[in-house]
Formats: sequence, C-alpha cells, structure tokens
Amino acid sequence: MHYSKKISIILIIIIGALLITDSLHDTEENEILIKDVVINSTEGLKKINFNQEINFNPIVMKAIDRGIPLSFKVTLRVVEISDIWPNKTRLNKVGYYQIEYKSLRKVYKIRDINGNSYEYKYIDEAVQKILKVENFEFTFINDYENYELWLNVALDRKKLPKPLQVNYFDTTWYMTSNKSIHKL
Amino acid sequence: MKIKLKYIITTAAFIGVALLILLAKSISNSDFISSDSFRILLGLNIFFICSLIILIAVQIFRLLQSVKKEITGSRLTLRLVMSFALMGIVPVLIVYLVSVNFLTKSIESWFDVKVESALEGGLTLGQKTIDILMSDIELKGKSIAYSIGNADIEQRNNILTDLRAKFGIQDAVIFDQDSKIIELSSEKNNLIPLIPDVRDLERGGEGFFGRIEEVTGEEIYLKAFIPIISKNLMSKKLILQLSQPIPPSISNLALSVESVYDEYQQLTYSRNSLKIIYILTLTLVLLLALLSSVAASFVISRKFSSPLAMLADATRQISKGNYKKIISEQGKDEIGMLIGSFNSMTSQLEEATKNSEKDRERVEIARTFLETILAHLTTGVIVIDDKKIIQLNNVSASKMLQNKENKMNNINIEKIITNNSLFEPLFKFVETYIDNNKKNKIEISKEFRLKKDKKERTVMLQITPLRDKKNTQYVLVIDDISEVTQAQRHSAWGEIARRLAHEIKNPLTPIQLSAERIQHKFSDKLSKEDSIILERSTKVIVNQVNALKIMVNEFAEYARPPKIEKDAIRIDNLVDEVIELYEIDKIITIQKDKNIPIIYADQNKLRQVIINLIENSQDALKEIKNPIIKIFIRKKVGEVELIIEDNGIGIPDEIIERIFEPYVTSKKTGTGLGLAIVYKIIEEHDGKIKIERINTSGTRVIIKLKSGER
Repeated sequence: MHYSKKISIILIIIIGALLITDSLHDTEENEILIKDVVINSTEGLKKINFNQEINFNPIVMKAIDRGIPLSFKVTLRVVEISDIWPNKTRLNKVGYYQIEYKSLRKVYKIRDINGNSYEYKYIDEAVQKILKVENFEFTFINDYENYELWLNVALDRKKLPKPLQVNYFDTTWYMTSNKSIHKL
Repeated sequence: MKIKLKYIITTAAFIGVALLILLAKSISNSDFISSDSFRILLGLNIFFICSLIILIAVQIFRLLQSVKKEITGSRLTLRLVMSFALMGIVPVLIVYLVSVNFLTKSIESWFDVKVESALEGGLTLGQKTIDILMSDIELKGKSIAYSIGNADIEQRNNILTDLRAKFGIQDAVIFDQDSKIIELSSEKNNLIPLIPDVRDLERGGEGFFGRIEEVTGEEIYLKAFIPIISKNLMSKKLILQLSQPIPPSISNLALSVESVYDEYQQLTYSRNSLKIIYILTLTLVLLLALLSSVAASFVISRKFSSPLAMLADATRQISKGNYKKIISEQGKDEIGMLIGSFNSMTSQLEEATKNSEKDRERVEIARTFLETILAHLTTGVIVIDDKKIIQLNNVSASKMLQNKENKMNNINIEKIITNNSLFEPLFKFVETYIDNNKKNKIEISKEFRLKKDKKERTVMLQITPLRDKKNTQYVLVIDDISEVTQAQRHSAWGEIARRLAHEIKNPLTPIQLSAERIQHKFSDKLSKEDSIILERSTKVIVNQVNALKIMVNEFAEYARPPKIEKDAIRIDNLVDEVIELYEIDKIITIQKDKNIPIIYADQNKLRQVIINLIENSQDALKEIKNPIIKIFIRKKVGEVELIIEDNGIGIPDEIIERIFEPYVTSKKTGTGLGLAIVYKIIEEHDGKIKIERINTSGTRVIIKLKSGER
C-alpha cells in the first residue's frame, strides 16, 4: 500500500511533466507539399526527384531578405512493412538544402541537396530553384517486395537564430510536409 | 506517506533554480543547450511552477481548515504566511516590473536607427567599392578585348599576357562559345582554370557581365566576361574572362561588415521573439521566486508559530491543571530560551503544586482531625465573625443549641437567640463583648446559670478573639458543666455528711445512756408527777437521739467511701426478689425482655436502689386512686436498662434538675438522702440514672448499667 501510493505519486509527476513538455512541442503545420516524386533506380543506386510547394509567407520572405538562412531537412526512410510485426526502418538518410541572402553581393545563394551552390539575383528565381529537389541519392538493394519509402521535408529550426528557435509561441517556423509514402 | 513540507519545498526550489539557470544558459549560449533541451527545461519549469501552485493551494486549504477548526497556532500561522508572502511578493513584483521594462527598453535600444544606418552605410560602402573595382576591371577588360580583337591570332597570347601584366589582373582566359579555352594568361604559372557557367559565357558574349564570387568565405573574386570583337568577322565569337581578387584589406572589411550587418538584421528580425523569451524566462523566475517564497513562508511560519502554538497549548493545559506538559527543545534562539524558561517554570509550578497539594492534604488532614475532635467534643465550639455571623460550629454546639442542622454556617446569633431563648443571656453577653472589644484581644471566660421554664443548665463560656489584618473572628467555647457542678455539689454533700457523722454520732450514745441512767436513778426518788415528767422527757431525748442516729447513719451511708463488691448477677432476678416483698400491694407490674444479660454489680447496693425507688413510688402513690408501678427491664446493646415508673404526683419542675442532691425532696417526711444515695450507688457502678416527669402525671426513673463487664 505504502509503495503503491509512492509509485502513483511519482507516476503523476512524470505524466504531468510529460504533458506540459508535450504541450510545448511543435504544433506542426503542413505548409510543405511534396509532389511529383520520381524514383530512378539503377541497380542499388537510387535517385529521387520531387517537386514541392512551400508556403513562403511574407514573414518568411522578409526573414530571408534579413539574411536569415532557411535550411530544409529532407528525411528519407526505407521501411519494411510487415502485417504482423512492427515496421522496420531499413535505411534512414537525411539531406539538407538551403536558401540564404548575401547582402554584400545582393544575391540569393542556394545550396542544393547535393551540396551544389547557385546564386540568383532575384528571390523568385532562388525560390523556384529550391522547390525542385533533384538527384537525392541513396543506396538500397530491394530484396523484398514490401518496402516503402517515407519522405518528409521540414524547415530545420535548429539552423534558425536562437531567439526564433526557442520562441515556441511563434508558429511561423513550424514548416513541415506530410509524410509522403511511396512503394519502392 | 507523510513527507515534510520543508523538504518538498527545498527540493522543488533547488530543482527550479537549477532549471532556471540551465534555461538562462540555453538562451545566452546556443551551443550549450539545444532548443529541444530548452523546450524540456521550459516544460519542467512550468511543471514545477504548477506543482508549487498545487502545493500552495493544498497548504492554504489545510491552513484555512485548521483556522476553521480553531486549532491552536493556525491563526498565527495564517498571519505569518500572509506577512511573509506579502514581504516576498511586493518587492519581487516591483523588481519584475522594473526588469521587464528595463529588458524591453534595452532590447529596443540595441536596434538604434543610427546603428542600422551606419551598418547599411558600411555595407553600401563595401558594395560601392566592389562596384568601382568591377568598373575598373570592365575598363581594363574592354581595353584588352579591343587589343586582342584587332591583333593577329599569333599575337593574341603575347598581347593577353602583356596587358594582363600591365593592368595587374590575376587571371585572363579567352573562351570560345563552346567554353573551350583559346588563350590563357595568369600570374600563377600552374593555373588550371575552372570552366565558367555556360550562362555566364552567354551573358558575357552579349556584352560586359560581371560576377562577384566568394571563395571559402574569406576572399572575394571579381569575374568579368567581355566579348572580343574580332576584325575578322568570319572568325568565332570569343569571350574574355578576367579574374581579379579584391585586395584582402578591402575584402576582409567588406565581409566583416556584411557579417555584422546580417547578424544585426537577424537580430532585428527576431527581437520580438527575443523579448518574448526573455520576458518568459523572467516571468518563470518571478513565479518560481514568488511561489517558492510563498511556499517557504508556510515552512517559516510553521517554524515560528509551531513553538508558540505549543506554548499556547501548554499554557492551556497548565490552566487546566496539567503541570506535566513539557515542550520539546527548539534550538538556542529567543524562542528556544522562552520554551526553556517555560519548561523550567512548568517544572517549578508542578513542584509548587505538588508541595501545595501536600500542604493542602496536610491542612485537610489537620482540618479533618480538628473537625473529628470538634465533632467528638462534648464542648460546643462556635466561630463567629465580627458581624456576628457563625462561620463554623461543631455538632455539640448545634445539639446544645437544639439546632436541626448540624451546620449553622452563615446564621446570625440573633436567630439563635430567637430559636433558643435558654441561651439568650449567653449570646447577649457575646454580642456585648464583640461590640465592646473589637480592638482588643481580651480572652474571657464566664459561667452562666441558664434557667428557662423547667430547664436549668450551667455552662461555661470562653471567648477567644482571632485577629488577622482584615477581620476578627471569635471562638466561642461553650461547656455544659451542669453535671460537673452537680458532681461538685454531691462531693460537697459527701464531705458534710462525713463530718456530721463524725461530729454528731459520737456524743449521741452517751446522751442516750445518760438520759436512760437519769430516768433509772431518779424515777423512784421523784414524786409521781415529777417522775412522769422525767420519763416523758427522757423518752423524748432517747427518741430524738435514735432519730438522730438514723439520720447520721443515712449520712454515713451517703458519705461512706466508695466500696462495692461486684458479682455476676441477673438484674431481672434481683427485681423479682425485691418485688416479692411488695406482693401485698399488687400494684407493681413488670415487663422484661428475654435473656437479660449478666451484669457485674454489688447485689446489696442494687437491692437498696430498687427498694428506695419502689418506696419513693409508693410514697408518691398514697393519694392516688389507681396507683400503679411499672417496671421494665430491657436488653440494650452493651447494657441493661431498668425503668421504674409510677403514676403518682410526680416531682415538681423546680427541683427535678437537683433531685439527686441531698435534702432535695418533694416529700414531707424523710431525710432527703434516698435519691442522693441511689445516684451515688449507680455512679459507683459506672451507670447512668435519669429521672423525668411523665407528661400526664407520674415519674419515670431510667437506670442504665453496663452488661458483661466486671
């Protein structure tokens, strides 16, 4: 009786702490839409191309103009689907692409998912560039039929300035896509 | 599970402070803690604050319940909590408001317009410098392109090298439209030029196109693409690419200004977030500080009020008479000293109470002892105050005064006088004494012979004043000395009788013998007439001498020394034996209980007593029409009671009190010594005798003799 009471109080404390912490968790909004996913496969090497629709609202555009770099994280997972057992992640790969304004040279610098840099004088050109993700490579041998590719794109908040990172009340920076699932 | 509040609060406060420090660190140093950690820390802080709020709410509820139940110390705790909480809340709130205001203004002051303008100016300056350098390269490039365009193909390389060196250009490369290198000249001999973007070459083919490139974030290169217009119109279109690094002194400065400008812009953009986070952190600090102080105020208040509550409780216990209440030690501060003093006082009080209790018991024992003595005293004792109100009396006093209740407290002696007029002279004397001797301490004794109607008592009164600072009380000792006086009289009569017997009895025989001798000797010698006179006179002398002898013998009997010879006798048998002598009269009836116990007595003396009493009754019955003498013999506890009563003329009230004294008699004949002798005999047997008038008529004599004692 004594210990059960003690345990119940500890449980209440833990649950309370988790609930409060969870309430501060990202209130994610699906502001990125992944579309036109094409997977090119040459033996084990696979390349993914896809387009995106990203809702760059005026606040975001202004942030870019103020020199705040926006880095997007592309998370790719190959998951083995099982009807009985829990799904198993066979591959997990992360890639980044970024848009940044260089005030001295007055150019928008893009670094694509493969690390290539591009510079554009106008933001529209730069945005158009980052909306297309091309040749995101990964190696996976498909030895089993029931694999799925789960794709997700999100703004990497960790690359934002610290005040924006910790301001959990500002939902502008919770930019993420839905989980795009494709048969592999 | 009862965890002490102070440990909970201390733990919570420490955790909260630790979390706040980490939170503050995470804001100021981005590398120290990640944003995820910040979120967890923020959540934990909020959780702790919520926990503290719940804890405080529970404590307030409990405290209010305690106040409602009027638990000792709860009101004091409530007051202290409110005081401490206010002492904490007010300054912290002021500091908070000032801090928020200061923080907001400080953050705003970071983004001064002048600073922004200066930074923009610096950036623009850098841009203009680069533009000037670009214009310079453009001019040089156009000059080189013109010279090469007008030169022969064989001279191109020399001209390119000469002019590049002359204009101080680092690299100069001539591409055709297919990005193929036609000519090359560089300060570095081992230059392997990078193939430019096709779009750059295309733009360069149409006219001057300049590009600023940043290499490794430290160097800035100016790249210029200029079309070469050849004099031979049929030849391929060529593009001259010049690469020139900006001098490090300029590029470093420009990049530095750009970096600062970017940071400033980022900071400007995120200042609202910055404010929110700082204010949030500050608010958390405020809440944690406030709630901790409020929670701590409970602990401190209880720490303060607990010993005081214990003191109050102990005081209450002591007021109820529980002197064994000891409060546990509470440190060495003033409260600890107070508790120590209280405990010491309690111990002393307990000791004093024990002593007082012992004294009280002693007094009680003494009082009981005194009361017992007083209760068993035949002497009446009355204590009255100076207002003549009775404060204390013993049983004998109430019996003496014929009061119904044993206790006569708070009764005025006036009332006693009204109820018992026999004692009126005595109490009148007491009143006079009190009125006249209020200031004196004179102890006085006085004998009173009290007589009222048929009652006559001799009492000795002793008044002793007891004075203290405020009041005076008087102790009246009333001693009924009637029997003592009677005994004294009996003793005096005994002495008289002895003297009479001695002085009178001796000459009587010679007188009688002398008278008889005179008659014998002179009767023959005298004339007949004289002889008759002599004989008559001699006879008178002899008769009177005989009468005197009888009287003297009775006196001698009364005055004889007490000498009785006790034997075991049955008084009922003795009474039967005596009654046989009076059988002729047939006026005596006897009633006796069965199994009358044996008494030890002088049979002859008791016979004399019974005969005397019966003869007295017969004398009293001489003129009575239906004379009757009743004799009762009764068995009592430890004694035998003999009652002889008649329906005769009875004894007058005037003499009944002194009837046992010699020469006190209602009869015309007799010596008056009969009852005195009876009284003496009964007294010699340690018995009691009482004579009383029967209501209608007659007399009753009651004799009590101890049974079974030698």
